[in-house]
Amino acid sequence: MHTQHDPLSTTFAALADPTRRAILARLARGEATVTELAAPFDLSLPAVSKHLKVLQRAKLIEQGRQAQWRPCRLTPQPLRDVSDWVGRYRQHWEVSLDRLDDYLRELQLTEEPDDGADR
Amino acid sequence: MAVKQLGNERTIAYTDGQELVMERVFDAPRELVWKVMTDPERVTNWWGPRGHTTTVEVMDVRPGGRWRWINHSTGGEDAPFTGEYLEVVPPEKYVRTEMFDVPPFNEDPAMAAVETLTLEDLGGRTKLVSRSRFPSVEALDGALATGMISGALETYDRMAEEFAKG
Repeated sequence: MHTQHDPLSTTFAALADPTRRAILARLARGEATVTELAAPFDLSLPAVSKHLKVLQRAKLIEQGRQAQWRPCRLTPQPLRDVSDWVGRYRQHWEVSLDRLDDYLRELQLTEEPDDGADR
Repeated sequence: MAVKQLGNERTIAYTDGQELVMERVFDAPRELVWKVMTDPERVTNWWGPRGHTTTVEVMDVRPGGRWRWINHSTGGEDAPFTGEYLEVVPPEKYVRTEMFDVPPFNEDPAMAAVETLTLEDLGGRTKLVSRSRFPSVEALDGALATGMISGALETYDRMAEEFAKG
């Protein structure tokens, strides 16, 4: 039971926007200024700044202090927490299905065909 | 409702609202696929990332039965997963909850996914469809996006390299 705001929900809310996800993907490749981040979108700088504030509140990014420069950088811990959840689940299952495929082939090469009873 | 295409060359994966769906056809009869997926001694031979081992702590495949599997990474990290079977219809279907058993993911039972797995008999081949229902579209969307940013694409690349080896 959380008496304070659930950090996972805050992270999810921050991620539930395609523009913010694109911003994070860009920052995953390195620091960028607000102007650089705004460039791919058809949005005003204030609109992009609003998105950055949401990401900052979720502690997904931090912004440098130097007034002119103010580069944004990714702070990945909340992302790791969330990706540990569904991301791990999905990656896990995809690899597992590949391994299941290999294992089923192997079993059929070495076992008696008594498992395919209704052939 | 946005449908995101995911997956790789062999597994079709996509989102459908609050559900993550994975589909795969195996060159094996349904009875064998069912056995391999529901036998505690077989599960350890295929579940989890390559190079990892799995311990099946408990696996009671019947309604109300608990399951808990722990995946051990090469670095010594343990990833425990747990849940409860809700419905079991051999050899064609089971429904179970699945939760990543570490804080904060195990602190709210509502955070568990509900997985419905069906096996369809294609006559010597079997189609597996797994539908996992997550707590909200936002949760699924956001977490999948994170997975992409944090390196799922790298995983796909590594898989493609693996496939290229033949």
